[in-house]
Amino acid sequence: MKIKDFPQLDSIEKIEQGFESFGYICSTQIATAVFLAFQLRKPILVEGPPGVGKTELAKTTSQLLDLPLIRLQCYEGLDEAKALYEWKYGKQLLYTQVLKEKLGDLLQGAQGLAESVERLHQFGDIFYSPDFLEPRPLLKAMQQDRGAVLLIDEVDKSDYEFESLLLELLSDYQISIPEIGTVKAKTAPMVFLTSNNTRDLSDALKRRCLHLYIPFPTIELEERIIRSRVPDIDDVLRHQLVQFVHSLRQLDLKKNPAISETIDWARSLLLLHADKLDEELIRTTLNVLLKFEDDINATQPELHGLISEATAR
Amino acid sequence: MNSKLLSFIQILRSRDVRISPAETLDAMDIAAVLGFSNRTFLHDGLAMALAKTPEEKATFSQCFDQFFTQKLLEFSSDGELSAGAEGQAAESAGFLPQGAPSRPDNAEALLQTAAGENAQLQTLLDSALMQNLMQNNRNELSLALNQAGERVGLAQIQMFTQKGQYTRKMLDELGEEQIRQAVIELERDNSPALPQLQRYRDILREQVRDYVEREYLLHAEGKNKQFMDEILSKTRLNNLEHHYLHKVHDLVRKMAKKLAAKHSRKRRVNKRGQLNMSKTIRAGIANDGIMFKTYWKQVRKDKPQILAICDVSGSVAAYAKFLLLFLYSLQDVLPKVRSFAFSSHLGEVSDYFVDYPVEKAIELINWKYGGATDYGNSLLDFAKLALDDINSNTTVIILGDARNNNGDPKLEIMQSIYQRARQVIWLNPESRRAWGTGDSDMLRYQSACHFTAECNNLTQLERIVDQLLKSTSTA
Repeated sequence: MKIKDFPQLDSIEKIEQGFESFGYICSTQIATAVFLAFQLRKPILVEGPPGVGKTELAKTTSQLLDLPLIRLQCYEGLDEAKALYEWKYGKQLLYTQVLKEKLGDLLQGAQGLAESVERLHQFGDIFYSPDFLEPRPLLKAMQQDRGAVLLIDEVDKSDYEFESLLLELLSDYQISIPEIGTVKAKTAPMVFLTSNNTRDLSDALKRRCLHLYIPFPTIELEERIIRSRVPDIDDVLRHQLVQFVHSLRQLDLKKNPAISETIDWARSLLLLHADKLDEELIRTTLNVLLKFEDDINATQPELHGLISEATAR
Repeated sequence: MNSKLLSFIQILRSRDVRISPAETLDAMDIAAVLGFSNRTFLHDGLAMALAKTPEEKATFSQCFDQFFTQKLLEFSSDGELSAGAEGQAAESAGFLPQGAPSRPDNAEALLQTAAGENAQLQTLLDSALMQNLMQNNRNELSLALNQAGERVGLAQIQMFTQKGQYTRKMLDELGEEQIRQAVIELERDNSPALPQLQRYRDILREQVRDYVEREYLLHAEGKNKQFMDEILSKTRLNNLEHHYLHKVHDLVRKMAKKLAAKHSRKRRVNKRGQLNMSKTIRAGIANDGIMFKTYWKQVRKDKPQILAICDVSGSVAAYAKFLLLFLYSLQDVLPKVRSFAFSSHLGEVSDYFVDYPVEKAIELINWKYGGATDYGNSLLDFAKLALDDINSNTTVIILGDARNNNGDPKLEIMQSIYQRARQVIWLNPESRRAWGTGDSDMLRYQSACHFTAECNNLTQLERIVDQLLKSTSTA
């Protein structure tokens, strides 16, 4: 991946604008991270609370660069057979059966076991060749001619061993397959790893990545996001609802409403033809924002104060 | 420029931010790509390479502000002053008669006339230092300060008592001695230029003092903390002053994290396991011997279970607290910890740790179960609650001083625990010499334990938990 191939990533400002044209409003910090990742060819490890647009960042980058997005969703028990590559065992077995008859022809005239084996050796390891290799997301990302955006989603959900598996890929953009050798990336992909912080990632993994923490956005930023995602909404209402969500995040909740929930809420309010916030409206739509019964109940007594706070400004 | 970056990284390291050489290289690349002209970009960029947890980010921001406020002007080639440096310089420049432009001329004139009569003063006035002072040339001055700081090794400062010493060294390095000499001479001559020169001297001293103070905060704070941590981890836990407790909590959490990182890396048994050939062939018979479907030997792995029994009577409560804090900070590697607390009677307290944060839970437990100790009775309670759950995967940890107030020790219960469990560990905060003296039943209980240890400070505790993790994870 050469710099001149992607003028979209020339400068931090350009990245910001480019993201915005695809409806992803980001802070300078995020743009700086993408800029650096590209300049230094380093993976980015994105952390932050759920729903702040970690996955979206990778998606938008792939749109911006017009590269395929290859996604690997991590979960407990994910192993190399599902992430890197697998041999097509079925195909291998089937071929051995089909080729059984051919074997007779091949070995015709061979005298004794030693010579037969000798002859077979001449054919090499045909069953362990790229033809029998089933590429999984990580290997696939290496094989793209123009490069790719590789998203390794929720890497904290995977096991520790899987992290070690990633290390070779992340530092050298290559994968070792014992039977074939080292597969180097045709073009180094742009790698995003996301984590929800359910457990601490290993230092080895962190060391190889740039670390980007995306917090909940500031009020201004969130308003811009809503404006770009829900353009039809009234200015006053938008300001009020963002204000309200922000004060909700100050409360001690099990799960804070994320940006995606703010967007959903803005859309629902739009559908209900609301033009300003009032208590009745919020009570009926609060379940869009808060996903736990406890949280909804805990918010009820505060509601009045929050609303007057949000509508005051 | 890179050496400044390195000393910045040194400071971060002294404040517990872990930075590897590879990350240092990254930081240098980043600085080269972004340049030093834009503070926000530089801050964000370096943070991505150097600080990788929220806590580290906070430390990073704080240090970045402290460090680059004074030093950024050296970096930027266009000599652009950062806002902080300007403010600081302006503050001390308040001594300079900025408001009345006629006065410095006047003062200079006075000094110049005095210099006309005194050759030594003339050379002094021509010196770079004095020129800078008189023209209030902040950039040059702060550069000179930094260089002098480097020469005297100010970055090595550790104690606040060293501040005076370093200030003196800095002044000597800057050539303040000449000014002092000149002041003495002017005094002798009773020259009218004396107050002027004295003022310049005071300004210089003031600047140097400020500079040393800033560097002290930057460099020594981290080192002092490390020193403190070292002392704390070797102090007997019940001798700790109350106001150090929160520091110890942080320390325990740090230690626990280290241990967790160390032991969670243990290679686990591969989940899928090896090809189960016989089963695969058997399944293939139906397909004329073609083995379409592969079967794998699955390995079942039992997770180790830990039962922690803690004496929370007055004499041992402090230790129990830290043991529990340790065990519950290790949730990642020790997911199945059940805890019991006792003094006169025993109860399971695991639920407290589910419902409350660890510190709060420990407080509640101490309050509920504290009292006079009765080991026999408590062991009976324990047998009722949990004896049936003890199997060959269970490790039982007992923390107590075994001082039974001369009651029945109920050794037979201990023995049945001993027989069932994988291992029984007894931690005793008393020193080995005191075991078995007075009403201590330790020697008797010891016969029903796989392992006994003295445990009264954090270092010992850490070592024991380390061993515990080693023995459980090889199960």
